[in-house]
Amino acid sequence: MMNTFQFDTASLLLALPEIFLLSAIVVVLLLDLFLTKRFKQVTYYLTQASLLITGVLSYNLIGHPETVIFSNSFVLDDMASVFKVFMMGFSMVAMVYSRHYLTQHSLFRGEYFILVLLSILGMMVMVSGYSLLTLYLGLEILSLSLYTLIAIARKRSGAIEAALKYFVLGAIASGLLLYGMSMIYGISGSLNISDISAFASDANLGARETLIINFGLVFLVIGIAFKLGAVPFHMWVPDVYQGSPTSVTMFISTVPKIAAVAMLVRILVDGLGAMHAYWADLFMVLAVLSIALGSVVALMQTNIKRMLAYSTISHVGFIMLGFVTGVVSGYGAAVFYVFVYILISLAAFGIIILLNKEGFEADQISDFKGLSKHSPWFALMMLAVMLSMAGVPPFIGFYSKFFILQQVISAGFITLAVVAVVFAVISAYYYLQIIKSMYFEDADKDITISAPMDIQLVLSINAILILVVGIFPDFWMKLALSLF
Amino acid sequence: MLENYLPIMVFIFLGIAFGVGPMLIGYLLGPNKPDKEKNSQFECGFPPFDDSRMYFNVRYYLVAILFILFDLEVAFVFPWAVVQSDLGWFGFISMSIFLFLLVVGFIFEWKNGALEWE
Amino acid sequence: MTFDQILFYVFSFWFIASSLAMIFSRNAAKAVLFLILSFFSAASIWILLEAEFLAITLILVYVGAVMVLFLFVIKMLNIDKSTLRAKFTGYLPLGLLVAAIIIVEMTLVLGGNQFGLDIVTAPARHAADYSNITVLAMQLYTVYVYPFELAAVLLLIAIIASITLVQRNELNRKKQSISEQVNVQAKDRVRLVSITTPSKEDK
Repeated sequence: MMNTFQFDTASLLLALPEIFLLSAIVVVLLLDLFLTKRFKQVTYYLTQASLLITGVLSYNLIGHPETVIFSNSFVLDDMASVFKVFMMGFSMVAMVYSRHYLTQHSLFRGEYFILVLLSILGMMVMVSGYSLLTLYLGLEILSLSLYTLIAIARKRSGAIEAALKYFVLGAIASGLLLYGMSMIYGISGSLNISDISAFASDANLGARETLIINFGLVFLVIGIAFKLGAVPFHMWVPDVYQGSPTSVTMFISTVPKIAAVAMLVRILVDGLGAMHAYWADLFMVLAVLSIALGSVVALMQTNIKRMLAYSTISHVGFIMLGFVTGVVSGYGAAVFYVFVYILISLAAFGIIILLNKEGFEADQISDFKGLSKHSPWFALMMLAVMLSMAGVPPFIGFYSKFFILQQVISAGFITLAVVAVVFAVISAYYYLQIIKSMYFEDADKDITISAPMDIQLVLSINAILILVVGIFPDFWMKLALSLF
Repeated sequence: MLENYLPIMVFIFLGIAFGVGPMLIGYLLGPNKPDKEKNSQFECGFPPFDDSRMYFNVRYYLVAILFILFDLEVAFVFPWAVVQSDLGWFGFISMSIFLFLLVVGFIFEWKNGALEWE
Repeated sequence: MTFDQILFYVFSFWFIASSLAMIFSRNAAKAVLFLILSFFSAASIWILLEAEFLAITLILVYVGAVMVLFLFVIKMLNIDKSTLRAKFTGYLPLGLLVAAIIIVEMTLVLGGNQFGLDIVTAPARHAADYSNITVLAMQLYTVYVYPFELAAVLLLIAIIASITLVQRNELNRKKQSISEQVNVQAKDRVRLVSITTPSKEDK
């Protein structure tokens, strides 16, 4: 048999961020093995450097015309590059916050950073995935790293339970996703997104083909909803958020959301956009349930991590609403929402980590009592974060909700918008509760902030960004729109 | 296409015949006169203290998992070996990268003492 | 009925029978053995479908490695059979209902009226010298090189994860020091002691 395959070596340049990150992982992994305890911090700095360089390499690829390489399994377009740049930025911030937490809870190990880097590599593969196969492999690389990151805190009560729950439910979700993919592959005859798109948008598509695509579509939507944590596939979210070490919770709840949305866009928008009428119905139910349950159940929580988990569920509902609209501006609003949500979420978890002390986790809402007297600056920041999550203008959280609702209304779903607004108002209650305990209650225990300067500085910038981006949201919204 | 498997089928039947045959012959032809004493435990020993199925040490688990991983690796190498000469340098390099990543994992394993017994 | 079909029904029968036996057997170790039998039957069906490499991989990886791990786990855990059974019967009606719905749905969507021979033509058999593994390999290491390397990353993560999660303290580890073993001299190990045997005259 003769080999007629031609490999274009120049295409490697387009995957440079991934190739660099993988090489960096190998170097960090090997170096970390030979470092003595005294120099373990080197791993942390190398991780940050690798993320920075990967981000710069991805930034340089912005503006490159859409190219599909590696035999139709890798796509480089603006969405991929911009998503990668944001992922690197958010991950770097998350790592700054994590270091403090890890040292205090004696979890500082080289493997932690290597697994984070590997999960980011998986996310990059997902963001650039242009075939069902690579999308799935990226998802598995991401998930396997995350399961391990949770379980790394073996001695922590609940961590193993959280890891196991996440693993079992994640495996079921992957299985459902694979099953859906196999249906789509079976009927369209291709794993490639553009081939699937061409097949699904064929005007002469028979009833048989439509039926089988829809059958697969249901599984795909369920798999994606599992990964996003939308109701009724949300059961793992609160337990995993509460049981994981706070730094891992912060990471799980932020950066992988970009990858999940990217996978959603690649499969459902790019691939099965012609089937929008079918999956939008499913999304509508998922979105309404998520917003409703997330808002109501969060009211009863006393653990702030658990509360933020339910708040994430309701945010996911809003993100899905953007995809219900079926227009480019709606997708743009959803992507904008994701970035805003991550920015706010990072700040919220950053403040929780800031209040941590050795052997003590500030994960109860009551731990925030009287924060304004001890540290007015960080109380002010938490105020901005909470108001932003609740969607109060002029904070950024208002605009992200506003853009989504605007698109939902202009797409003609008035009832949907009303329901979303009602539950958003209900959810404001529990965000305000934290503000109340910070400003109007006295501390029942001693609050001292012992965190190093770097985390305080980054946290301040993060919180200021919430306000600044809130004053000029148009630029970012335009950026989000330009991705589609 | 199925005729390719004829030698395998012959092999399977021969294997079964060789394994089962002698046992069957022994069972049929040998004298068999059990009595109470012959069937009792070990004739002059103790009755067993507990179950003969003992629990395995947890450490086998790590060994077994690492075995699976490298077993999978080998599963990827088999087809490569079949067409290696047709693939040329490209196939060689792609397999080298694959194996390199696993060697990195192997170094990690070694350095962490996963191959040692306590 | 051709010989292929007879073989197909024989393997399918064993596949279904051993799967059922696996679910209903009370002894976990026996369940694993039934699972191995069902893997073998599935591999045989794949061979009938000319997917030889997949069949061999199934036996090599699943029967050879994964099932061994299963047996280890069963030997490690003390599985209480009575609690297992209580849960089983408790969820049985709900499980049967869900299973029935799924079976009906799948027959409607994936059954003969969608994928029957009158709609989809049966794929032609390959010649006797057709090598599935060659065709597969020519694709895997060229066209699918990117997913192939990603598989290596996945295996790397699995190695890191499994070691990270069971890592023990370094204190009680019996470590082999190869340099010490190599550098050892004969005089470190053997001590020559001169012993004078008392002669008969001394007595």
